[in-house]
Amino acid sequence: MKGSRPSVRSARPSSAGADVYERLVVERNGPVGWLIFDRPDVGNAMDARMMTELEEAWRELDDDPAVRVIVNTGNGRNFQTGLDIAALSRDKEAMTEQSRRTRDAELRFTAWHNHVWTPVIAAVNGSCAGGGLHFVADADIVIAASDATFFDTHVSLGQAMSYEGVGLSHKMAFEPIMRMALVGRSERMPASRARQLGMISQVVDPPDGLRDAAQELAEKVAKNSPAAMRATKKALWGALEHGLTDACRAGAQELVDMWGHPDQNEGPLAFAEKRPAVWQTTQLEES
Amino acid sequence: MTFSKFDTLIVERHGPVGWLINNRPEQLNAMSSHMRDEFGDAWLELDADPDVKVIVHTGEGRAFQTGVDVQELATDGVGMERYRESVENWDLHFTAWQQGVEKPVITAVNGICAGGAFHWVAEADIVIAASDAQFFDPHVSVGQVVAVEAIALLRKMPFEAVMRMALVGRYERMNAERAYELGMISQIVDPPEKLREVAQQLGETIAKNSPAAMRATKEALWGALEYGLTDGCRAGAQQLVSMWGHPDQTEGPLAFAEKREPRWAP
Repeated sequence: MKGSRPSVRSARPSSAGADVYERLVVERNGPVGWLIFDRPDVGNAMDARMMTELEEAWRELDDDPAVRVIVNTGNGRNFQTGLDIAALSRDKEAMTEQSRRTRDAELRFTAWHNHVWTPVIAAVNGSCAGGGLHFVADADIVIAASDATFFDTHVSLGQAMSYEGVGLSHKMAFEPIMRMALVGRSERMPASRARQLGMISQVVDPPDGLRDAAQELAEKVAKNSPAAMRATKKALWGALEHGLTDACRAGAQELVDMWGHPDQNEGPLAFAEKRPAVWQTTQLEES
Repeated sequence: MTFSKFDTLIVERHGPVGWLINNRPEQLNAMSSHMRDEFGDAWLELDADPDVKVIVHTGEGRAFQTGVDVQELATDGVGMERYRESVENWDLHFTAWQQGVEKPVITAVNGICAGGAFHWVAEADIVIAASDAQFFDPHVSVGQVVAVEAIALLRKMPFEAVMRMALVGRYERMNAERAYELGMISQIVDPPEKLREVAQQLGETIAKNSPAAMRATKEALWGALEYGLTDGCRAGAQQLVSMWGHPDQTEGPLAFAEKREPRWAP
């Protein structure tokens, strides 16, 4: 990010009970909300507190009408390396609630888990390992620094890989996911291969240009109608839930629901008048 | 042979290949209400013609297609409301898939392919493009939702690329090269002027195969997009077995053994 930009550290209390986030940095830069993993000393691994803060941070950014797009990245040389195994082995009790949520498929640490309908861009810096793949699978758009790597250590540590791989398998070719899941920590997928496969859409080189590139991309997305993007996200993510015909039927409903919305008339009008569109910012009723 | 009972489309036959050509080049082949109706008829006409084995769909002029005719929507006083009932009831008829076309369909993308044009990329069996083709989806940039066309598309290629196109809107375009890398298309034709020639060749190549076997194959593979894996295989098994006892099933191996061209049942 540009050093001169106004950056506001959120003073809103997290539900973890503290005045500020301890495991995350939450910032605004123009229309872009930034959610940054901030445990660089442990590869941004998630402990129980980080998981709780993530739920709070996604909600805060999604509810803020000034935030049109959310970028998710990490501080330090890793993007995200999944569950903090060391913390887990020190204090199993702290993870009891997260373990229950895992068992019951009630996880709340990614944007998708939290029904975030603001567009989400994952900007992968460095290693994205194991549970870190959740944040790739559950983002709308994924870009990565040229030195980013993707791998899944689960089976090398005697754990099963599940949710991350299931999510990814709906979004890209299957074989590379299965290979990653079964080869474990002995092999890493480079950013260039991830782009070939369509797991990500952009490789940023040099790597230190990642945040500028993410901000630039996010500002383009932020020019579009928030209401139309929200409905588009619902239609397209919803499509992963159903067979093609049923998904089209459900998608048609999202389409028709937008008819009569002020943005739907404003868009073509602004286009005809060759001026930027003025989008409705207040959210209409949510389903 | 050109037989023009259509105002907004050109429908032609060249050998075993039926051509459906978008013909509103001045409007970048945007779909008016009239064109929408003509599509429905044209697909059925070509699918019903026993001399047509494969259908190629392309556009006149510098665009393949650019979605619904916004000019008409903005000026006719009816707008999208005209389409509300058909969309709500999922009763659409302008693509081959919607019309239940059983023959192989090749989309040959010339130039610009924007917004609603993705219907014919998503719903074709095979897609090729001229090297100067450009893909983008401006819906959200003009306050519209991306839904149905992208839903079929994201079943067929990596999700992220479709979502990026949907959310970035008119501020970015995908070139033919990237579409090829992602498997959205299977062939780039360079120079672009050779697109129709190459599409005709591909159509003739495909036309050599058993129509009955291709019909069952299409049904099995498109059907797979409707179900989970195990159910998809069960449904596909029905298509497989449906060919057993069909004359093509014995003619194919026989012709191969006798080193001659097979004679397929129509």
